[in-house]
Amino acid sequence: MSRGTAERVVPAPLVAAGHQRRLVFGDRLFRTIAYAAALLIMVIAVIFVIALVIPALPAITKFGLGFFGTRTWDPVRNQFGALTPIYGTLVTSAIALLIAFPIGLGAALFLAEDARLRLLRGPLSFLIELLAGIPSVVIGLWAFFTLTPLMRDKVDPFLQHTLGFLPLFKGTPSGYGFLTAGLVLAIMVLPIMIALSRDVIRAVPRELREASLALGATNAETIWSVILPYARVGITGAVLLSLGRALGETIAVTMVIGNTMQISGSLFASGYTLPSVIANEFTEANGNLYLGSLFYLGVVLVLITIVVNVLARLLIWRFSGSGRAPA
Amino acid sequence: MKRVLIALSVGAAVLLAACGGTSVASNPSTGGPTVITPPAAALTGAGATFPAPFYDAARFAYNQKFSQVTVNYQAVGSGAGIQQLTKKLVDFGASDVPMNATELTAAGGSDGVVQIASTLGTESLAYNLSGVSNGQLKLTAKTIAGIFLGTIKKWNDPALAADNSGVSLPNQAITVVHRSDGSGTTYIFTDYLSTVSADWQSKVGKGKSVAWPVGQGASGNAAVATRITQTPGAIGYVELAYVLQTNMTQASLQNHDGQFVIPSPEGATAAASQFLAVNPTQFSIVNAPGAKSAPISGYSWLMLYKDQADKTKGTALVDYLDWLVTDGQQYAANVHYAKLPSNIVKDDINSLKTVTSGGANLLPSTVAAPS
Repeated sequence: MSRGTAERVVPAPLVAAGHQRRLVFGDRLFRTIAYAAALLIMVIAVIFVIALVIPALPAITKFGLGFFGTRTWDPVRNQFGALTPIYGTLVTSAIALLIAFPIGLGAALFLAEDARLRLLRGPLSFLIELLAGIPSVVIGLWAFFTLTPLMRDKVDPFLQHTLGFLPLFKGTPSGYGFLTAGLVLAIMVLPIMIALSRDVIRAVPRELREASLALGATNAETIWSVILPYARVGITGAVLLSLGRALGETIAVTMVIGNTMQISGSLFASGYTLPSVIANEFTEANGNLYLGSLFYLGVVLVLITIVVNVLARLLIWRFSGSGRAPA
Repeated sequence: MKRVLIALSVGAAVLLAACGGTSVASNPSTGGPTVITPPAAALTGAGATFPAPFYDAARFAYNQKFSQVTVNYQAVGSGAGIQQLTKKLVDFGASDVPMNATELTAAGGSDGVVQIASTLGTESLAYNLSGVSNGQLKLTAKTIAGIFLGTIKKWNDPALAADNSGVSLPNQAITVVHRSDGSGTTYIFTDYLSTVSADWQSKVGKGKSVAWPVGQGASGNAAVATRITQTPGAIGYVELAYVLQTNMTQASLQNHDGQFVIPSPEGATAAASQFLAVNPTQFSIVNAPGAKSAPISGYSWLMLYKDQADKTKGTALVDYLDWLVTDGQQYAANVHYAKLPSNIVKDDINSLKTVTSGGANLLPSTVAAPS
């Protein structure tokens, strides 16, 4: 697919020559406007990064890369490190994906594949879109008032009772912490996970399904050995985009994570995430180093998000570029 | 009815406007205090969340009195308030901790800014223990520090039991709840802990955000209060107003004189009256002596530029602030804040008298503190 050929295709003259010249001028004008819009997006992105890095400079020069490996966050003594919130961000996002992936994939397969329950498909798709549209602060409120007592009194004791031998489920459950935050995030990324996976699964060529069924495979076998392998890369892209959403979610997590600067192996323990620290502390952060460290956390978060997005983009390119099932 | 009221107030505004700008006249009926009519202006302020309920009640009352002046207040946090004042985006800033030397330099030098104490608040230690009613739990400086340092982990700890004979304290883990957002409430509480505990001072220190040894954070007084209510065995420091509004159980706190007091606005006033010389550099009133003093109390502050660029606005501003620290104080009690002691009101008015515009003082020298 060589670039540029599409532009040079001349449409068959449908109208008089005078009118066509005007169209060419219109095309040029449209192209200029489109280029300007594209350029503006790039300028905004660059300005955004610069505006984030400049206020972070006092902290970047003081702490350097050691910032990533330091656990201390002490505003009184002006000692700052990002390790604790990085840990919390990664752990809660991982829990979210572990929960959302199987549920999301199952729902997507149902929506895309199962023709028998066609009547349910419309309402379910609508509900998923509705879930995506609920503001995160509302989900946070629900989690704060309803989910945390439920976790403390029912879910956490059950996990402790059945899986308490694992270090993951040790400690006193308070209802706040990594597990609750991960669960809330799972709920929030589910719509993305479902919608993207559904579209990817629907994009599997009809001939492949038919061929598989014609060879005598059952529906389940077709899904397992034909559809999922074909859609694998696209589903991975959906997972990574969900991860990007989970990493940056702020308000709902802040309400249930417990906001404690600690690294703990227990999922019942409370912790902190990068966006939560920024949201909690920036209003009263005095001094360039303190404020700079909060901006530095923002830089860290943007870096993590960029890595995730680049991975997702690479996978999706590979998926759409090759046009066939990857080996 | 509402429409009639609006029509009346608009009419009053027109009448007042017709009278011209600032007018100072002695009150003919009593011959006493001077009555000032401020010029029409829209004032904006931003800052601390802790006194926001008081500021909101007060600015509403002021606007009822002088409808030509509207006061807008954004409770964005003390730090943001100071920054907005420094950038001259607002007419006044508000903070629970006065601006320090660095912040003053950024705002154009310590001579450029006037800081006045605007209200007085006190903090409670609210808890969630079944069977232990309001005020029944007694806490001393030592046990409070122990709980927040994490050395006292259970409610039936011998140190707690020693102060609470007759109260059945359960064998239950203590869940400490603190503020996760930077706040003046945290500053006053950690200032108290640093004052009464050398351990706390060396390990943690005081600040609007600190590295907490134990506990969970919640954002804002309301969230801390909710979390304590939700969690059996929880304890946390909360602004008195939130405790009273939500009917939480709060501890009796031992003050400097060894008396156990339940925090109240009167206790805050009693504590404040022990400190005659309070200024923007010496402002701590925690662990105050006096039998009735509530130990975890503090002032909240307002900041404005000494030289006001806009004379009309500046005149309205100093009049509003003068009213706020005098007549306006009556609105503090409704929202559970304490009235400023008279010595502080006098200091505030003297500070406001130094505010100028184009070299001319904005607050008439005849204005005096109510005796």
